[in-house]
Amino acid sequence: MSGMTETEMTDAELDALFAEAATLPDPSAALVARVLADADAERLLRLQPQPRPPATPKPGFWARLADMFGGGGALAGMASAAVAGLYFGFVQPEGLTTLTGIVTGDFASSLSVGLTGDTSVDSVDLMPGIDALLTEE
Amino acid sequence: MPRDTLTVLSDDALLVLYANGDADAARTLTLRLLPRVLGYATRLLGDRAEAEDIAQEAMLRLWRVAGAWRQGEAKVSSWLYRVATNLCTDRQRARQRRRSEALEDVPEPVDDAAGVEAQMIDADRMAALTAALATLPDRQREAVVLRHIEGLTNPEIAVILEIGVEAVESLTARGKRALAAALAGRKDALGYEERV
Repeated sequence: MSGMTETEMTDAELDALFAEAATLPDPSAALVARVLADADAERLLRLQPQPRPPATPKPGFWARLADMFGGGGALAGMASAAVAGLYFGFVQPEGLTTLTGIVTGDFASSLSVGLTGDTSVDSVDLMPGIDALLTEE
Repeated sequence: MPRDTLTVLSDDALLVLYANGDADAARTLTLRLLPRVLGYATRLLGDRAEAEDIAQEAMLRLWRVAGAWRQGEAKVSSWLYRVATNLCTDRQRARQRRRSEALEDVPEPVDDAAGVEAQMIDADRMAALTAALATLPDRQREAVVLRHIEGLTNPEIAVILEIGVEAVESLTARGKRALAAALAGRKDALGYEERV
């Protein structure tokens, strides 16, 4: 401040006051005792064996099942596949019946056109619709 | 560990020793740090009894954090100053709340400057300084005390107050000017009159 008057403190005076204030106080014996009692209490608390964390509850049936298959997502996939299997089992779509007949050897029921009574695999007509078209021509 | 050996150890080495169960390390740290934190809190609050509570609480927090202290990451004294600063701020806010709640019982709000003057007439130089410091905004007071009374560097103060170094420079400069103004005209009370 440029307009410093005679009554204002100079920097030197202020610094002298600060220096005087910088003298460290002597904490009372009672305060030191309180602080040390706190330190000791905290130290003993730390030395005590820590209580064991509560045992984590056993995972439930679904959690264990999900773990077995590698997580919930995999389990969901498995469930979808199972439902699809059940669906095909009950509905038995024609195309699928042909295929399963071949696989199981019971293909006779799946043959429609061109079946000669020979039960060899060679005579299986996998595309019966084409024969029908040729016949019409 | 022998006490002579403890006195040459750094603050954070002592803190780690304490965390490992060395009671003498706590004593050495207390004798080293308690006067500083007590002096600081006294300058901020202007009340020795309250400052003692703050100093004890700050030290208690130090004991509690000892187990997780990582040597070399922070200065113990800076950490302690920061805790004390926050505790003092909380204490001052609580005071202000109490004051505003009890405002109806007070005849007239006391003008700060008049309060300073009244205290300076009877009080010694340190009481006059404390009263003048009390007229500063919190952040200015903290910066001035840390810089000019505790003798810390601006970067250290920046860490303690969690602000930039430039902000510290600005706070200390403004704080010092405001302090000079608060003490203006009181040189006689401070014993400087004859030297001018």
